[in-house]
Amino acid sequence: MNSNVKPFEIRKTQVSEIDQILRNLMSIQGVSAAAIVDNEGLVTHIHRDFEINTDAIGASVQVVFGAASRAALHVGHHVTNLVICENAEGFILAMPIDAGFMLALVTERDALLGRVRFELKETIPVLKKLFASYLLK
Amino acid sequence: MHWFESELVLLDQLAELYLKSQQQSGTDIVNVSEDIRIKRGRFIGALQSIVNKVVNLNGINACAAYHEGLVLAYAEAMPNIDALGVMIQESVNVTQQSARILKLGDIQQIVIVGAVNKVAMLSVGPVVLCIVCSNAINLASVLSQENEA
Repeated sequence: MNSNVKPFEIRKTQVSEIDQILRNLMSIQGVSAAAIVDNEGLVTHIHRDFEINTDAIGASVQVVFGAASRAALHVGHHVTNLVICENAEGFILAMPIDAGFMLALVTERDALLGRVRFELKETIPVLKKLFASYLLK
Repeated sequence: MHWFESELVLLDQLAELYLKSQQQSGTDIVNVSEDIRIKRGRFIGALQSIVNKVVNLNGINACAAYHEGLVLAYAEAMPNIDALGVMIQESVNVTQQSARILKLGDIQQIVIVGAVNKVAMLSVGPVVLCIVCSNAINLASVLSQENEA
């Protein structure tokens, strides 16, 4: 019979892999914050290189993504895969993972949008699997 | 095989390894995730390296790599970087449609020659490597130059 220790270790490894993924995203030129936000707008994991109001960014990302998703539905575009906010000083990108969780990136103006988007698109399927197994445990 | 061809072969191999790593199945998602991340890092690292080397060759005006029309890697200052991305995406889309009808197979290279400059687009895994040089330049010859970057 499995003890309680095994699931705990699995969760721990999954969490450290999620942290490693965020660290990897932070290593991209121009990326200043990488966060995972839950369905209530709370930041569950974050890596950043500047002071950031995590509550504010979490809530805003969920609000913006929700608004963009509704806009997409209105025009018959169905599911929203990525929201990009282009701002005067940089970009905010948000992608859904699973069960309302989102991956959000904050970048400086000099970030290579293609590089960031490529990493996001490639990372999301893995994060989906990690979250699916994490949430099942 | 000169250095550029060798680097392209290496890049193709890294791209293939990366694409294969994405197809791994199994329950050990943590290790699979790590493997995918490492292989993607190697591919992107090699891509940036080739971009840096190409831009240092005599006669090359610019070099950059794009993914779905958005810039993924470039070296030094590059004017009209987004316009080039648009051109690549448009060209690749149009060419892919014709290639299907003509049964050409996957597009490997597109070269657009203007009166002043020319643009070569090389498909490598999920990205397109783009090289800009003067119309008068023999690109194959320039790319075979000994690279000291």
